[in-house]
Amino acid sequence: MTALELVQDLTWLIFIAIAVATLLRATHRPTPSNVDVGLLFGITTFIIVESSVVTALGITPNAWTNDLNSGLVMLLPFFLLRLADDFAGVGRRVRAAGTSAIALSIAALVAYAPPRPLLATALVGAVFVVVTLYAALVFLRNLERTHGVTRRRMTAIALGSAFLGAVILVATVGAIDPAVTGLEQILTNGLALATAVSYYVGFAPPRVLRRAWQEPELRSFLTRAAELPRLGTTEEIVREIERGAAAATGGDASLGLWDERAGVLRFTQRGAAGTFGVRPPNLIAGRIFEMQRPMFVLDAARGDPENAEVYRKRHVRIVVGAPITAGTRRLGVLTAFSERAPVFTQDDLELVQLLADQAAVVLESRALIDEAARVRAHEEATRLKEDFLSAAAHDLRTPLTTIIGQAQALERRARRDPALGAEVGGIQRLVRESVRLRELVAELLDASRLERGQLVGPFAPTDVGRLVADVARRQVAEQRPLEVRAEPGLVTYCDAHRIDQVVTNLLENAMKFSPPESELEVRAWRDGDQGIRVSVSDHGIGIPATDLPHIFDRFRRGSNVDDRRFAGMGLGLYISRGIVEQHGGRIWVESQVGEGTTFHVALPSTPVVERAEVMN
Amino acid sequence: MNATLFRSDPGDGGRRRPGGRASISGGTQPPKVTLVLVVDDDESILGMVSEVLADAGFGVARARNGREALAAVDRELPSIILLDMRMPVMDGWTFAKTLRDRGAAVPVVVMTAAEDARRWAAEIGAEGYLAKPFDLDHLIDAVRKHAGGARRN
Repeated sequence: MTALELVQDLTWLIFIAIAVATLLRATHRPTPSNVDVGLLFGITTFIIVESSVVTALGITPNAWTNDLNSGLVMLLPFFLLRLADDFAGVGRRVRAAGTSAIALSIAALVAYAPPRPLLATALVGAVFVVVTLYAALVFLRNLERTHGVTRRRMTAIALGSAFLGAVILVATVGAIDPAVTGLEQILTNGLALATAVSYYVGFAPPRVLRRAWQEPELRSFLTRAAELPRLGTTEEIVREIERGAAAATGGDASLGLWDERAGVLRFTQRGAAGTFGVRPPNLIAGRIFEMQRPMFVLDAARGDPENAEVYRKRHVRIVVGAPITAGTRRLGVLTAFSERAPVFTQDDLELVQLLADQAAVVLESRALIDEAARVRAHEEATRLKEDFLSAAAHDLRTPLTTIIGQAQALERRARRDPALGAEVGGIQRLVRESVRLRELVAELLDASRLERGQLVGPFAPTDVGRLVADVARRQVAEQRPLEVRAEPGLVTYCDAHRIDQVVTNLLENAMKFSPPESELEVRAWRDGDQGIRVSVSDHGIGIPATDLPHIFDRFRRGSNVDDRRFAGMGLGLYISRGIVEQHGGRIWVESQVGEGTTFHVALPSTPVVERAEVMN
Repeated sequence: MNATLFRSDPGDGGRRRPGGRASISGGTQPPKVTLVLVVDDDESILGMVSEVLADAGFGVARARNGREALAAVDRELPSIILLDMRMPVMDGWTFAKTLRDRGAAVPVVVMTAAEDARRWAAEIGAEGYLAKPFDLDHLIDAVRKHAGGARRN
């Protein structure tokens, strides 16, 4: 076996291997370009196998086999032209011209059996060469507009086409001038092999090769993804993800962010300000979002005929998309698309899903960073407000401390040492009014904080029954007949300090507005599943029916109360209602003038055990 | 007038301890008298609290900020410190920390007009707190309660 024969056999083997691979793929996934590629290699291999079989069997090639071979050979540029159109788009006129030239060549080959006139051979060769070189040019020109995997594939195809052109050129020259036959054979075989490999790599890159090409793009995307959340605005991040996805897939990419409020996926306009919204399940992106699964759509216009015009206008033909989802939070959709169907393969589904998952991580981190910033800004604003209030409170209380303390000190001495001749009555008024001023300041500050939502603090498990009983004994002490009935185990989550404040306020009211010897009743019980109930009853002056609806309003007090000594600012019940309501509870009053008054409080009962488990 | 008030009969606090006749001007102080260090930048409060405590039979030392208070602790060896928190020069937090770092175990009662009296007291490991404006009964009760448990090392 000569070296030449070895090269020839090797070439054929490679051709056969490629043909099997591409034909298998064409039958498995019969997309137009897969079929074209399969036919291209199938035909080539058929010619090779056929001629070797004929040679091996010692059959003299006859006119019929020659015609078949010639016709099949000329189908090769035809499929090449189709593939060029599929991949890069050639004009309709070019396609028509190319197709007719090829048809003409086949006719010429059939019409002129060998030995053919030189001119016919030269013309047929020229058509072949022109078509292949044209295809090479088309692919080369397209390189500019592609990137990543696609760019590499285009390069390989352009190279393959150039090799094929050279094969035909050499063969034609050989046919015209038999003197160069030896050299011609070597060149043809080498070039044919180069063509086969280039085409295989370009048209039908095996999965391993695609992965290898995608890997660096993917790696750079993943590396960059770690920094993306801190990059700047969400728009900039979206643009970066799109760029990375485009590089990794070799097509274009666009990311639609889910706008919960508007119910649309928002896509950034390419090269224009603003966004356009897609309402799921509209368009393929909307369908991907709605169904929450990746999709591979070979021909968008055919897959979604209602919107064919949209896809055409945006040059979208093949679409590979995946939902961007973080846990159960649906964030959006990432789609890779291209005007050229062969740019993606089904394998890209996995890649796009991977990119979408990465995008989810990036967007989620970004959202968390935004959220943290919002919380910080809110806290800052709250703190500033709080600072003002706290500062005001501090400054009001400081002089009050001296006034109350000094007044009480004077009162003590005056009582202890009547010989001093101090005006006890006057000093007592001073003490009383300064204490009242303290209550007013406290009420005012509580009401301000209530309105800012700052009054009620963190909740902790509290035995409300015990709290109520303790407050009642502390407030009423020995001053009054007191009946306390509190069920054991009334435990719920609440701000015990503030609930204490409510019960204290109700008891203070009850004591103010009832005769000194009358009995007070305090109760706490569980009201079925309704929660925890507390009531404070007195046998006092009662509240007129006309006042009842307003009793919890600001600056209100019963119209039958004319003793100014009783009153704070009338904010006590307003604050109590606020505290109860911020616990998710309810406060109301029942009263009969002259009979007495009962205030009711209902607090939701949070199962303490369950909450504790959640906290663990 | 002041002198008259200070030298008047001791209050509840004085009555409880034998020979508890207190005098702010020192001199013949009985050795077992409870000395209270009052720290506050507000002159009026400082004056009022000092008078009231003296009147109740306690010995009193005063300081207007944390730094003065540290000097007073070294000099007077108080049994208890009533500590305002927001003060110029050295605030209550720094004072309390320095005090603990030095290993002094004098009980501290925080005395503040801010919202967070209880929290701040917990923060600096104080024995108690008085939210301004307080009643005198509370002031005297607090001093009595915590001065008793002086935690000297």
